[in-house]
Amino acid sequence: MENSQPSLTIDDGVLPQAAALPPEEPSLPPGEWIKKNLFSTPFNAVLTVVFGAIALFFIDLFVDFVFSEERRWNGTATNLRLLMTQGYPESQYIRIWVSVGFLAALTGLCSGIWNAGDAVSMKRISTWFMSTGAFGIIAIALSPLDTGGKTTWFIASAVSLAIGLALWYGLGDQKRRSTFVRTPYLIYGAIAAIVASLWVVPYGNYTFSDGVLTNEPDSIVAFTTRWPWLVMAFILIGTYIAGRFAPASAARVFKPILIGLWVLSPLIIVWVILRDPELDWDHVISTDIPMALGFILIGGALLYALSKPGLGEIGKLAGFGLLLFAAFHWLAAFFGWYPMLQKARLSFLFLALFAMAAANFAGDRRTRLQLVFGWGIFMAVLHYFATMINTASTLEFRGDFFLGGYALTLFVSVMTLMLSFPLGVMLALARTSRLPIFRLLSTVYIEAIRGVPLITILFFFSVVLNLFLPNGMSVSETAAVVTGYTLFSAAYLAENVRGGLQSIRRGQFEAADALGLTGSQRTGFIVLPQALRVSIPPLVGQAIATYKETSLVAIVGLNDLTRIANAIIPAQSEFLGVQMENLILISFIYWVGAFSMSKYSQKLERRLGVGER
Amino acid sequence: MTMTLKRLLALLAALTLLVAACGDSSDDDSADGGGDDAGQDDGGSDDGDSDDGDSDDGGSDDGDSDDGDEVELTQGDGVLAAVQARGELNCGVSGAAVAFSTLDAEGNMVGFDADYCRAVAAAVLGDAEAVNFVELTAAERFTAVQTGDVDLLMRNTTWTQSRDTDVGMDFGPTTYYDGQQLMAREGDGFSNASGVADIDGAVVCTNAGTTTEQNISDAAAAAGISITLNTFEDFNIVTENFISGACDIITTDGSGLVGRKAEQQPDGEEWVIFPATPISKEPLGPTYGQNDSQWADVINWVVYATIIADEKGVTSGDVDDALANGDAEIVRLFGGEGELQSAMGLSADAFFQVISQVGNYDEIYARNLNPVGLTRDGSANAAWTAGGLIFAPPAR
Repeated sequence: MENSQPSLTIDDGVLPQAAALPPEEPSLPPGEWIKKNLFSTPFNAVLTVVFGAIALFFIDLFVDFVFSEERRWNGTATNLRLLMTQGYPESQYIRIWVSVGFLAALTGLCSGIWNAGDAVSMKRISTWFMSTGAFGIIAIALSPLDTGGKTTWFIASAVSLAIGLALWYGLGDQKRRSTFVRTPYLIYGAIAAIVASLWVVPYGNYTFSDGVLTNEPDSIVAFTTRWPWLVMAFILIGTYIAGRFAPASAARVFKPILIGLWVLSPLIIVWVILRDPELDWDHVISTDIPMALGFILIGGALLYALSKPGLGEIGKLAGFGLLLFAAFHWLAAFFGWYPMLQKARLSFLFLALFAMAAANFAGDRRTRLQLVFGWGIFMAVLHYFATMINTASTLEFRGDFFLGGYALTLFVSVMTLMLSFPLGVMLALARTSRLPIFRLLSTVYIEAIRGVPLITILFFFSVVLNLFLPNGMSVSETAAVVTGYTLFSAAYLAENVRGGLQSIRRGQFEAADALGLTGSQRTGFIVLPQALRVSIPPLVGQAIATYKETSLVAIVGLNDLTRIANAIIPAQSEFLGVQMENLILISFIYWVGAFSMSKYSQKLERRLGVGER
Repeated sequence: MTMTLKRLLALLAALTLLVAACGDSSDDDSADGGGDDAGQDDGGSDDGDSDDGDSDDGGSDDGDSDDGDEVELTQGDGVLAAVQARGELNCGVSGAAVAFSTLDAEGNMVGFDADYCRAVAAAVLGDAEAVNFVELTAAERFTAVQTGDVDLLMRNTTWTQSRDTDVGMDFGPTTYYDGQQLMAREGDGFSNASGVADIDGAVVCTNAGTTTEQNISDAAAAAGISITLNTFEDFNIVTENFISGACDIITTDGSGLVGRKAEQQPDGEEWVIFPATPISKEPLGPTYGQNDSQWADVINWVVYATIIADEKGVTSGDVDDALANGDAEIVRLFGGEGELQSAMGLSADAFFQVISQVGNYDEIYARNLNPVGLTRDGSANAAWTAGGLIFAPPAR
């Protein structure tokens, strides 16, 4: 898929995969196509008419509903900010945009450097334009809009239809099938068009600022909307171009950094950008940095020593001793015997885990240093985020958590996925373990969780968890819900991964044993990569389910997208009962997210050859 | 062996990491451990004493420390001291109760109940904005008080005998007298003078899982009529069904019906609300954990202060004038001579702050309930001098 000729124009030439396909029949003109596919026999013609009429009926219902005079879309439009971020302070709103910009830059750079995306033939593109235009004309004809509104939408649909027809007939049969456009151009082009439309199309200006309600249905959107989105579009497209034209040497350096940033981006966005911790520099210099350095250096030296080849049982004993030491600190924390920074406890625990893995890196100097560098980077990241998370925020917000609305929906789903994935993999490994105790524990856990409805778990964690925690310790509602959801999601992920694990043939294990790999090397390098590849479709299915089911947190009273749309806005005295409008909007928002994930997983499956090998 | 052990440990690590990473905002233990957080005055409770470290729950410690109540009062170990130490009032609200507590488009909590939370914060902390609004569902509201998650409930909670005794709550003075009523179309032959006896055979709709369902069934049985009762998940859907004609009559608390009528009544149709005497009594007011008289006094007198100020005609605009030239009761209440607030554990000007920052009862009512069409005149919520039930004992 590497395309060595970066260009922003339509890529001429036949892509390799397209060349590999069998030659197609010459495509029919639209009129012929309709005759052949929709009215080929009398029976098919009847079917087409009947089901077409049913479809039209439902389109009519929907369009009538959306464009009805009774719909009060201004309630939804005014509350867009509430839907997106709830009460995030307006004075700090730049932080939201920095976060969006950060994600836009990452997306642009990555899709540029990896040259992401497929190629779409002009034939399909012109079909899209034509069908959008035709559908638009039908839908507008059925809608209860007044003449002025209908004319505007008719013109828009007709333009789409005309573009489609022009592409179709302008290119000719051979050319429209052999001309390809890369999907990033299409996607970024569409985004640019939407953002540009904010500057010209009168979507209406509905704002609620400092208690003043602005309601101008015929003007363009507020500048606080159109300016930031323009900047975002520039960042996205600019970084994409930069990524495409980056020299290969730079790309090689950037790739691991970008992957690391992607993995850490939820933490960076939530706890560094959005939460704005107010660092106490005296404390950072006197305590935090020396502590991190101490762990990195002393731990590194220890790991280097422990990865010495031929250490045998001594290494294992040392690792186990460290583990006991770390566990003791956690016990001490639990019973409150003596104070210690949580960071130190965490660091000891991870040092023990690294030490137990050290035997796998027993080898030459280079391999041993890899372990030490890995430890250093891990510790630096851990200490950085632990410090950031434990530092008080400068944000002036009241309540449980500073995010709400769609931001909370995204936070809950991303955190749940990030935390439940490793947990799920470990549960799956434990369930296929040779040791009965692990098998038993894991099976009991998975079956117990899978037998309980998610909403029960959420209620349990949001209401009851704090009653079980030791004195003086409490967990915020958001954290409690994320914890419960993670435990739930991990059980399902574990089953998906187990399916993958069981598809690995015996020979793979034997081959790994024959190479003299240790147990963890076999798992890490041979079994898991293959198992995860096979598990991609169910894993993405689970990710989509997780994303959509975050709407259940509305029931335990978290102000996620669903609760704001369904309960909060309809209760505002200005917009009493405005509920259907919000539900239509959030269905669309959920759909865009879920559909993108589904598309991405299809691509991933194709690239990794799932189902072919 | 090591591998499997490692898996288990990594699992454990992931769990602990999760708790540690997510619980940051409230996990004092980890932040205090370094000894650098002098600001947290409840640090003493972190070092493992088992029982008395619970500075935050006035509601649940009654069971084992009845004899300690007097000591607690004087030492200020109740909710009041906890709130003052925290510098923030955790106030439980609904968040989705029309005109009582809702989020506006900017994400601020507004409404009648929300303003009473602010009034308490103004009295206790001197700052009406020092409120942390905790949105609670009906199911979790009492648990939230018992676990100390909230100091006070202003969540349109009806004062009932079972809640006052069995559930372990105490109730402050009623701030809003509500009652269940019915709403129908005038075109269907109903009027404001209709009664429950007139709805024989009608399709009555309400939202599921509330006492309204029980009340209307009881009222219909008492009137000897039969109705078809349909319930829906929430009242927005109930109203949609009423508008579409699927329901002849809808029923819920009168305050809710008035709001719906003001906002959603279609042109050319007239909705009427009846009977004039509601079919149920729903006194709504502040609710808190039981057996903390000091905290109860504070809440009660915040409410009374707003009522007294209304009675005397003192509004947020003229508090300074009232303090300088007002009558003796207002001067006492506002922290002038002979004030009693200090004895309650509040600053002398606590109620002055309430009125100046939030307003008197009438202002709070007008600000929040007038926009949805609820007026005080002639209702139970008029002042006692005007034939209503809003009354406060004298401040002396």
